[in-house]
Amino acid sequence: MIKCQYTCSIVKNQKMTSRLFCLSLKAPGFVQRVLPGQFVHVRVANGLKPFFRRPFSIFRAQKTVDILYDVVGLGTRILSEKKKGESIDCLGPLGISFRLPPPGTKQVVMIAGGVGVAPFLALTDVLKKEKYQLVLLYGARDKDHVFSLKEFRKNGCQVHIATDDGSHGVKGRVSALFSKINLKMPTYIYTCGPKPMIKCVQDLTRTQHLSGQASLEEVMACGVGVCLGCSIKTTKGFRTVCHDGPVFDLQEIIL
Amino acid sequence: MSMKLNVSIGHIQFQNPVTIASGTFGYISKYAKSADIQKLGAFIPKTITLAAREGNPSPRIVETASGMINAIGIENDGLDHFLAHKLPDLAKLKIPLIVSVSAYQHNDFETLVTRLSQEESVSLIELNLSCPNLKHARLIAQDPAATQEVVAALKKISAKPLIAKLSPNVTDIAAVAFAAQEAGADAVSLVNTFSAMAVDVHRRRPVLGNVTGGLSGPAIKPIALKMVYDVKKRVTIPIIAMGGIMTAEDALEFLIVGATMVAVGTANFVDPQTPLRVLQGIKAYMKQHRVSDIHDIIGSLRTS
Repeated sequence: MIKCQYTCSIVKNQKMTSRLFCLSLKAPGFVQRVLPGQFVHVRVANGLKPFFRRPFSIFRAQKTVDILYDVVGLGTRILSEKKKGESIDCLGPLGISFRLPPPGTKQVVMIAGGVGVAPFLALTDVLKKEKYQLVLLYGARDKDHVFSLKEFRKNGCQVHIATDDGSHGVKGRVSALFSKINLKMPTYIYTCGPKPMIKCVQDLTRTQHLSGQASLEEVMACGVGVCLGCSIKTTKGFRTVCHDGPVFDLQEIIL
Repeated sequence: MSMKLNVSIGHIQFQNPVTIASGTFGYISKYAKSADIQKLGAFIPKTITLAAREGNPSPRIVETASGMINAIGIENDGLDHFLAHKLPDLAKLKIPLIVSVSAYQHNDFETLVTRLSQEESVSLIELNLSCPNLKHARLIAQDPAATQEVVAALKKISAKPLIAKLSPNVTDIAAVAFAAQEAGADAVSLVNTFSAMAVDVHRRRPVLGNVTGGLSGPAIKPIALKMVYDVKKRVTIPIIAMGGIMTAEDALEFLIVGATMVAVGTANFVDPQTPLRVLQGIKAYMKQHRVSDIHDIIGSLRTS
């Protein structure tokens, strides 16, 4: 009864590291509709377990719609066992996309925590056409959560990596990387990752008077803005992550 | 074989008995396919209140075994916004519109019913007497006398048939349904969600921002079914049944125990095609069992 429901066939379900997978989905007319920052709402099993769909940011939208996921629970474990050729029910692309940086922006800094890096590849596919200096700050738990970021580099991104245990890149939080880069003002920020990280980015950018956008994650039921289950507090009142977001103005989110 | 699926409540006719539960399809989202929605018996938008309501703090939902708990808190923009911005689109649907209302201030129900009575595009009004998410010590729907009083007062001023939506969080739901019927309700709808909660054991905190919420989904279906069965024995007015319907078989169970209509709720979040699949499945069942009129299924339970 809704316009954006697709039965997708799985083209590939590639293991990127011991923890991260990339699932490639295909359905007629699906990939053409994707804008960077949007997500898909995936029914990982046809039965009742798990009960809800699972929302995933769109990582890549070239020939297929690709999602990047970490195996963290039942839903993602079931997803990791899917084979090429199986079909899967998806709603999407859903939500609003990233907006372009304001005119005059010289530098774009993307701050990602874990699989929060996912929406930024599609974003750099668009941003590389402009003359911004692109910087990706990627923070992960350990080296098992760090995959090849060569596509980001190919899109002209400077990549800086931090891991919590120091097993790859700098030891520490992604926020520590931020203080190490040279800002080429005017700088514009995009961020996606766990809430404590977004809060930290919000504080850092507020003191430096930088603006930007954040992509948020929430438990969702409908995914299309009708159940109001994924609402978060913003300076404009409650807003749904699925329909009013997932992309919000960085400073309007109340964490 | 021609098949008769149409049912009625009061003087309102529905092309078939399948509808949706309020709050599970919004006010018709931008993603909705109206052509598909018009295949249903009726459309019920999300419950509205007289004044806008902000709703409960997040998290507002949690997945549970075969279901979910929600504590949304009737977030809505209020009656004026509904009439100005939502009703014009809803009025374009070529099926009856059942507007669900709830009240948190004295006289709000009267104002809501009076004003919605003036709207030609509104076919029926559902009184949500049973929302468990708000911090009232006792809900109207938990008290037969209060139910009777509220419904009787609204019946006097309503130009539309009234449906009383009942709470399952009572000892004897049939007594509340009977009170609604005595007060002049044209139908009852049941069940709303069951009071429930979930705890995050690592943090030792409630999962929901509101602490408690309402359980829905297939987990509640057998209990909801028994409640419809009990209510059917006490009332003669039509019953709109809901509670965990995921398949046509679920819907048929409710029809067989006596529901005139069935509403698909939580299943819309899992698969928005569910109401249409349920409708198709009911048709297939009728064909298979050579039933030409849905009324030959409604209340056809054999117990001896």
